[in-house]
Amino acid sequence: MKPLLEVRNVSRYFGGVKANQDVSFSVEPGIVLGLIGPNGAGKTTLFNCITGFYPPSRGEIIFDGQRINGYPPDKVCKLGMARTWQKVRPLAKLTVLENAVVGALCRTASVAEAKGIALEQLRMVGLERRVDVLAGGLPIGERKKLELARVLATKPRMILLDEVMGGLNARESEEIIQLILDVRKRGLTQVVIEHDMKAIVRTSDRIVVLNSGEKLAEGTPQQVVNDPRVLAAYLGDSGVGKA
Amino acid sequence: MRALLPWAIPALALALVPLLIQSPYALHIFILLFIAVALGESWNVLGGFAGQYSVGHAAWYGLGAYGAFILLQRKGIPPWFGVWAAVAIAVIIALAVGWITFRLRGPYFVLASIAVAEIIRLAALNWKILTNGAEGILGSDLPPLQIAGTVITDWNSKMPYYYLGLMMAVFCVAVNFAVKRSKLGYYLQAIREDQDAAHSLGIALTFYKNTALGISAACTALTGGFAAFYVGFIEPQGVFGIDVSIQMVLTCIIGGIGTVTGPLLGAVVLVLLSEWLRASLAQAHLLVYGVLVIVVILAMPDGFVGFVAHRLRRKAAVK
Repeated sequence: MKPLLEVRNVSRYFGGVKANQDVSFSVEPGIVLGLIGPNGAGKTTLFNCITGFYPPSRGEIIFDGQRINGYPPDKVCKLGMARTWQKVRPLAKLTVLENAVVGALCRTASVAEAKGIALEQLRMVGLERRVDVLAGGLPIGERKKLELARVLATKPRMILLDEVMGGLNARESEEIIQLILDVRKRGLTQVVIEHDMKAIVRTSDRIVVLNSGEKLAEGTPQQVVNDPRVLAAYLGDSGVGKA
Repeated sequence: MRALLPWAIPALALALVPLLIQSPYALHIFILLFIAVALGESWNVLGGFAGQYSVGHAAWYGLGAYGAFILLQRKGIPPWFGVWAAVAIAVIIALAVGWITFRLRGPYFVLASIAVAEIIRLAALNWKILTNGAEGILGSDLPPLQIAGTVITDWNSKMPYYYLGLMMAVFCVAVNFAVKRSKLGYYLQAIREDQDAAHSLGIALTFYKNTALGISAACTALTGGFAAFYVGFIEPQGVFGIDVSIQMVLTCIIGGIGTVTGPLLGAVVLVLLSEWLRASLAQAHLLVYGVLVIVVILAMPDGFVGFVAHRLRRKAAVK
């Protein structure tokens, strides 16, 4: 199948620091790709390269057959690729509904229509009863859901989720896992950064492992969790120990 | 439309005021109030909704004032036509400036906005052939306003200024309303709350900031042109000076930044306060004015509107 996203030999340097080094992988339409790696492995930098926040120093990002290196983030979003943030970024003084409306306005100029789209997505993530609350007043679990509703409201073809379960308790994480699986059923392609191994194994069709900015391994969840190099990266000198 | 009803009633009531009150001083206060409302609402489009704290709006105010004045003086073009040319010039310059300065964020943008206004002030001060420099320009008599051969007004009382000022204030409030409820308004507020998040949601930051600046500068220049003819005299410090910019910012801070009612309330408070202090304290009035402004800001960091909204929300929460 023709991939929706291709990352070809992408490197990103900050001065002398190699945040990403020659990373390549591709994402077929409809799958959930897990992106894991110890802290500082370059996962978020890679997201920033893909979504236009930092242009890659080398290599190419191909989305739906189009080379998108150097496109600004708003254009990337318009093309159909939307991302969430590891550190959530609610529009604090706007209500939950208004936050989702901002996302929905990506595809329409009509505020009324955008409200319809926004409500639909808020219902899907279970925030329909919180629409009039200021986003800044939400607890972390609901903020993460709002991030998800907001990117879904942009009607993307692909979403990139940066640690949507970070800081959540077991019940909240379970809800997010279900949401990812629901979104997958709708045929939306997803790339998911996650620290929680159990969650990533349950949700991903394929996993890419980054370590020190480079791709360490790639394969099915079973292959990856049994790969001695992956275990070494997680349990060895980096000492994250979540595997 | 229903949301506009509470605004229509006071606007109509204000339209009747000159029929009941003939005191020129009272009408003068009202006119100052209308100018302050129009300026506050103008600034609010960029500063309030988009969160871009320009402290250089005197630039657009002064360009409106000088443009309309010079066109009347040199070319004999009546200001009700000339001011639109002045507005166009202000908007073109504003967009050029915005294109450069909107890549700056936070305090750096504030500094750049001050610098731009200062550059334009110095240009007005030194380009003597066009502006008459520091001596300023004394307005010549306005030609009578005629529509279809009938003279509407010869500008010899406060009355025409009152109605024009009222229209200006209503117009600027209406612009804020329209912006707030549109896609533009949502996008500007998103930019204010978090630029990176806004960018990632498909918002072209510079384009929308420039749109806000264009609208804001146009309203400011229009009001500047009106205020200049009301006062009848302009000079660079008076229209391009930083106190003009600060007054606009203060109006919004006191009333409540980013709300439609905020600048309106702020204008009422500031104009009445400053007139009352001027009348009762003479030279010391600026000092007391400054202290009072600081006290209000400390007590109500979100302005009057924010203060009241917070109280209401707390009350609702208690229930």
